[in-house]
Amino acid sequence: MTLKSSLARATAKSSYWVLRHILHRGGTSLPGKLAVAIDPDILKTIQQDFDLIIVTGTNGKTLTTALITRVLQAGGYEVITNPYGSNMIQGITGTLVTTKVKSSPNGKKPLAVLEVDEANVEKITNAIHPKMFVLTNIFRDQLDRYGEIYTTYDKIIAGIKNAPDALVLANGDSPIFTRGDFTNTRRYFGFNHINPTDFKPAVAPINTDGILSPTDHSVLHYDFITYANLGKYFSTTDQFARPELKYQVTSVDQLTPKYSQFSIDNTPLRIEIGGLYNIYNALTAFSVGREFGVTPAQIKKAFESNAQIFGRQEAINVDGKDVTIVLIKNPVGANSVIDMMLTETDEFSLLALLNANYADGIDTSWIWDAEFEKLHHTNIKAVATGGERYQDLRVRLKMAGFAEQAVYEDLTKIVAAIKALPTKKVYIAATYTAMLQLREQLKAAGYIKGGF
Amino acid sequence: MANYDISVAHLYGNLMNTYGDYGNIIALTYYAKQIGVTVDYHLVSLNDHFDPETYNFVLFGGGQDYEETIVAHDLKTKAEQIKTYIENDGPLLAVCGGFQLLGHYMIMADGTKVDGIRVMDHYTTNMHDDKITILNGKRLTGNIVIKNNDTGETYHGFENHQGRTFLGKSERALGTVISGNGNNGLDKTEGVIYRNVYGSYFHGPIFTRNGNLAKRVLATALSKKYPNVNWSEKLSQIDTETF
Repeated sequence: MTLKSSLARATAKSSYWVLRHILHRGGTSLPGKLAVAIDPDILKTIQQDFDLIIVTGTNGKTLTTALITRVLQAGGYEVITNPYGSNMIQGITGTLVTTKVKSSPNGKKPLAVLEVDEANVEKITNAIHPKMFVLTNIFRDQLDRYGEIYTTYDKIIAGIKNAPDALVLANGDSPIFTRGDFTNTRRYFGFNHINPTDFKPAVAPINTDGILSPTDHSVLHYDFITYANLGKYFSTTDQFARPELKYQVTSVDQLTPKYSQFSIDNTPLRIEIGGLYNIYNALTAFSVGREFGVTPAQIKKAFESNAQIFGRQEAINVDGKDVTIVLIKNPVGANSVIDMMLTETDEFSLLALLNANYADGIDTSWIWDAEFEKLHHTNIKAVATGGERYQDLRVRLKMAGFAEQAVYEDLTKIVAAIKALPTKKVYIAATYTAMLQLREQLKAAGYIKGGF
Repeated sequence: MANYDISVAHLYGNLMNTYGDYGNIIALTYYAKQIGVTVDYHLVSLNDHFDPETYNFVLFGGGQDYEETIVAHDLKTKAEQIKTYIENDGPLLAVCGGFQLLGHYMIMADGTKVDGIRVMDHYTTNMHDDKITILNGKRLTGNIVIKNNDTGETYHGFENHQGRTFLGKSERALGTVISGNGNNGLDKTEGVIYRNVYGSYFHGPIFTRNGNLAKRVLATALSKKYPNVNWSEKLSQIDTETF
């Protein structure tokens, strides 16, 4: 290590210490900025201390990264990670330069597992050559900011091309990951939980993105779909089909809003969170663990002993009401939440909150691609809507056949709104800033502590 | 109540599906149901035949650049039939990419020129074009309000597009821009009206937020199929969602 890089690291560490212990702020961006200012090659210098795994994709990165970290730790690795979702270049640099790398209990090289924003993959790999890229999924997100799925993937590909020796471990159920003209070795994970005699070959529902074959641009067919455009796809015009899977979900045994039971490579597993999409997150972590020699038994233990990391769906008690808060921001996410409600066996009410600030995505047209009509197949007893764009949501749900709705333009009345709902179970689906406002109200009323 | 039904074609509904445009069919179906009309939905996509006699309403929505390129190629095989449908006064709503592809051509964000089917007289350039003197290089994104000069109705929506569309001589705007940018940010036009074709950049989608327009188009479609019923009268008796 050169004097310059030592100074860069020392400065980053002390600024991090000041931020954290004196200013009580947790950010890693400023330390990263300082370190790079002193030594632009700081990342190149420190990469010899660890092997890097980059986790990228549009949905589920944070939870997947946390799960991978626990799995690798269970396998005896020392792991550095960016746990607060600071997934841009400066935050990541800050994380890497302020973390003291210890040796792994298993004697192997320590690992850095980093969630990386899609547009920042190339910036990171300009400096560090990762050992592995983990690609979760690419879904349409806030259209006013991120653009289209193939543009997003092109950004990731540019980063992959910087590291041709790295393994690309990708979600094989997503057709987009068979694209890309990079030469890296690819391995795939996916779902194979349905007996071939039960296949129902069909095309995807019309509001599904990313359904064209990369070979001849024909519309793909599926033996089964898990959700969105994920599943066992094939072309009817040529030989193109889902690639062979190295790691697979071999059974889905029980889906509930609070937990899921399933098997991966015939190992029975349980995670304390609902939603099929979270089984993909677990599958991703399982696959990474296996690539690094972690045993299925160790992975199982990692899932079971870290229940608290499944924190995104938050359960709150409001005067005896069992309230679950879920974030919605795009049609795939909203449809996943609706699918989760289809697994709810009790009567429940839905309170849906829509804002259209920058952090929510200012184009709300996606709510028309979310299949609220499916809620008629649940035990839903009441629907209420609110948020700054309550009108859009009110009309969406009215046209989905929910004529009777309580409407809350003003979120200051939201605690009363929850209490007024007729069922014990309440789901609140909210966009990002609506969720922040909701949490403020719940905090002021004493039902939750702290902020995010 | 007598049994009435209309047949709706969703052109490339599985590919031009990025911006919630399907909501227009949800809105149309919602109003139709209240006056005892069933809406039969048909996806007409790649390699499918489009029969101009079969449908009473057509929706052609917007999509991503890659899908739009594939659609533009296939659309040529349906151009004659779509022209027949339009010239026979068939009602059609075209949004964003669908609106663009009915015209002469469009230039995508990366500069690629994509041929339209020229059944209408507008053309679309992109945000980097030199003649774009206002908001050059920027997407036109935000709330928009326009006024329909034929009816005096105002329409509310959200625009989010990089393309800049210029109308031809045989076309008039769906509305004059009151606030927002419209077709190109320059000439205060938004969307198009040609025969019974309505084109627009509105997301939101336009029929969901502007029930008056949804009802008008529904009445046109129904009157063409069932001329002996006063559909406007029937539709005027049900509530209109406008916001």
